[in-house]
Amino acid sequence: MITEYRTYINPSKVYIPITDSEYKMANVKVAVGDRVLIGEKLAEKFKGKNKSPVLSTVSGKILEFKDMIDRYGKVVDHVVIENDKLYEKFQHKTFEHSITTAEVRNVINNLGLNKISVDGIFTNLDFNAKSKYVVVNAMFTNEPFISTDYEFLIKHSAEMADGIELLSIAANAEKTIILVDKFMPEEALLELGKEIVEKDIEVITIDSKKVNAKDYKIIKNLVNETLSVNLVDNGVVYTEIGAAKMLHDAVRLGVPVVTRKVAITGDALNINAVYETRIGTRFTELVEDLGGYSEIKNMNLHIGSFLTGIQLDSDDFAITQTVDSVNVAEYRGVDEDVCIKCGDCNDICPAGILPQNIMDAELRSVNSRIVELNTDECVECGLCTYVCPSKINVLEWVRRAKRRVG
Amino acid sequence: MNFITKKAPIVNNSQRSFKRAFTLHFAIIATSIVTVVLKALSSLENPGELAVRAFFMIVVGALVSVLVELAYAYSEKDITKFKNYKGYVIPINTGILIALLLPSITPIYVLILAVVVGVYAGKLVFGGYGYYIFNPVLVGVIFAQLSFGTQLAVFDTPLQLLKEALNGATTNFNILDLFVGNYEAVAIGSTSVILLSIVFIYLLVSKVIDYRISGTFLISVFIISFGIGVINYYVSGDFSGVFDYVLVNMITGLTFFGAAFLISETVSSPTSRETKIVYAVVVAVLMMTVRVLGDNAEGLVFAILFGNMITPFINRTVKRSNKKTLIKTVVISLVFVIFTSIALGMILQGRVEEIYALVGGVL
Ligand code: SF4
Ligand code: SF4
Repeated sequence: MITEYRTYINPSKVYIPITDSEYKMANVKVAVGDRVLIGEKLAEKFKGKNKSPVLSTVSGKILEFKDMIDRYGKVVDHVVIENDKLYEKFQHKTFEHSITTAEVRNVINNLGLNKISVDGIFTNLDFNAKSKYVVVNAMFTNEPFISTDYEFLIKHSAEMADGIELLSIAANAEKTIILVDKFMPEEALLELGKEIVEKDIEVITIDSKKVNAKDYKIIKNLVNETLSVNLVDNGVVYTEIGAAKMLHDAVRLGVPVVTRKVAITGDALNINAVYETRIGTRFTELVEDLGGYSEIKNMNLHIGSFLTGIQLDSDDFAITQTVDSVNVAEYRGVDEDVCIKCGDCNDICPAGILPQNIMDAELRSVNSRIVELNTDECVECGLCTYVCPSKINVLEWVRRAKRRVG
Repeated sequence: MNFITKKAPIVNNSQRSFKRAFTLHFAIIATSIVTVVLKALSSLENPGELAVRAFFMIVVGALVSVLVELAYAYSEKDITKFKNYKGYVIPINTGILIALLLPSITPIYVLILAVVVGVYAGKLVFGGYGYYIFNPVLVGVIFAQLSFGTQLAVFDTPLQLLKEALNGATTNFNILDLFVGNYEAVAIGSTSVILLSIVFIYLLVSKVIDYRISGTFLISVFIISFGIGVINYYVSGDFSGVFDYVLVNMITGLTFFGAAFLISETVSSPTSRETKIVYAVVVAVLMMTVRVLGDNAEGLVFAILFGNMITPFINRTVKRSNKKTLIKTVVISLVFVIFTSIALGMILQGRVEEIYALVGGVL
């Protein structure tokens, strides 16, 4: 249970990975010994022709380049910067009220904001000619007890509303939707409502107690066509409300993402807390700040949503702008039972494919059948694993099939 | 610090397959007890003896089933499963269901053989729970029926009376008796429809059985028997014959028992919603065909086994499930059911040529 709100924004060193899961190549722009300012470019990373900057989150001297695992569990090069605690900023251009589509997109590119929400069906902040819809998720429920930080939402609702509007400008959006939780506290809803009432934003409530990919269904109805794995191809930009706040800061104040809210939970930690932390902070430092791990064997470290996030075998990674929650808990192995062929996973799949049949085909390695079952349409939402009464990790089988055959 | 990268189970979702097995277990035991009591209260000859026999059979069925599984587990040198009661639930379910599907006059050795065959040949040789193709319960029952037909023969069940009524015999059914299960039953489990529908609803709500299978099955049986009834028993303005026909088909025999315990058995039935509907319709049509045309007055066991047989095949025909395929499946199934109903009705009257004409007309 989250009991505290903490800040940890003065680490003595920050570790910034120069590549990520999509942008796999990078050109380094600095050398050991250079002094950089907040927001200064450390490197440029590439995904094909697209490039995205890697920015510094502190001011200080570059100490070294170091191989560490990143939040995806892959060993990549990190820039290590010593924090001189002066927090001098590299001034990026700021914009007052009116702003054009191209200008917002430029800010997003120049400040490396494309990739913020990475779990499940969230998209990058990529825009193309088809971009038509913006969907912003203001609810975030996760197991066991991570939830939206409503304090934060109330405090910054004006910025968030502005951020949402900027998103819809960037996308040239016909329609902008915000998804809120049915069980959202009245005050938060009121604050948010006050800010967005003037703007052309539709509010849709979702019952967070039912796990049934309602957001996916809403988006499907919106675009009225078969959804592809990356919703950007359907003209939809789907992100969470934190991204709206970050966009606001980038456009209006010229600051890149230097801090982030990270929920750190789990029974392996003595205290559970939501942190405001500087990007690049090592996770181990946060754990130390929380008083270390309790004496537990068999620990499980999970980054991101429980349905779709990933597990790491080491805690020595640095917080990036895509980390929104980390859970460290005792692994309570529940035995997997055999598949009883109940079909619950087939029923829930929002992509309309048949995970049980895919799993069956994968077990028997019938490749033609895997192709025939449209395995590549799986959006990796994790719902099949969620509903399975036998606790089978169905998604893992589907992923395996997809990777092997696709 | 090192961490395990096995995915932790998601605890929010409390559905567990063993919980479903427990729910079924509870429902089966409750049904057995009430059935035995109802037998004792019935107006058949020797109700007391019948009830004792039924009770004895149920116990023996459960016991033999557990013993077979235990013996197998010993031979495989792995009895960890049987350390706590959880491991016994499914074997007991199988054993009791086999007992409930045999008539109370069954000699005990037949029951034992049926359970051994059902559990061993129907389940264990395939690799146990979760892997079999045919519902082991039905494998045992069909074995008994085919090998010991004369020992198991029950006369004057409502369905048989109905069949004879076609040949001119007259029968009057006492509706109340039919509802409380006070009749010669083809099997112990063919009991009060009131009890069975309560169990049915309970299982439906607790998600042990799938409404798309059991519901489709019941609706199909209703449509088919109604069609046959109208064609054969409708006498200008008088629906009582039709009513009797539908009622006897719906509430006696194994219709409801099958809907609650047999047809929705998950392992041997298909997994996606379209195929579930197809499966249920196939079973309903076959059952009614056997009831109407076959020697046997009760066709459910055959029908479900046939359904199990084609399950891998129909599982293979679907590629994805969406609204369009669902609607298509429902419409085609409905047409098929109605057609079957008319065809069976006409065959009963020997109007086979007319069916050919009908098919020709449609094509
Ligand atoms: S197969 Fe599973 S993870 Fe993939 S879309 Fe369907 S429910 Fe989601
Ligand atoms: S939900 Fe689990 S048990 Fe049910 S069919 Fe899917 S994989 Fe099998």
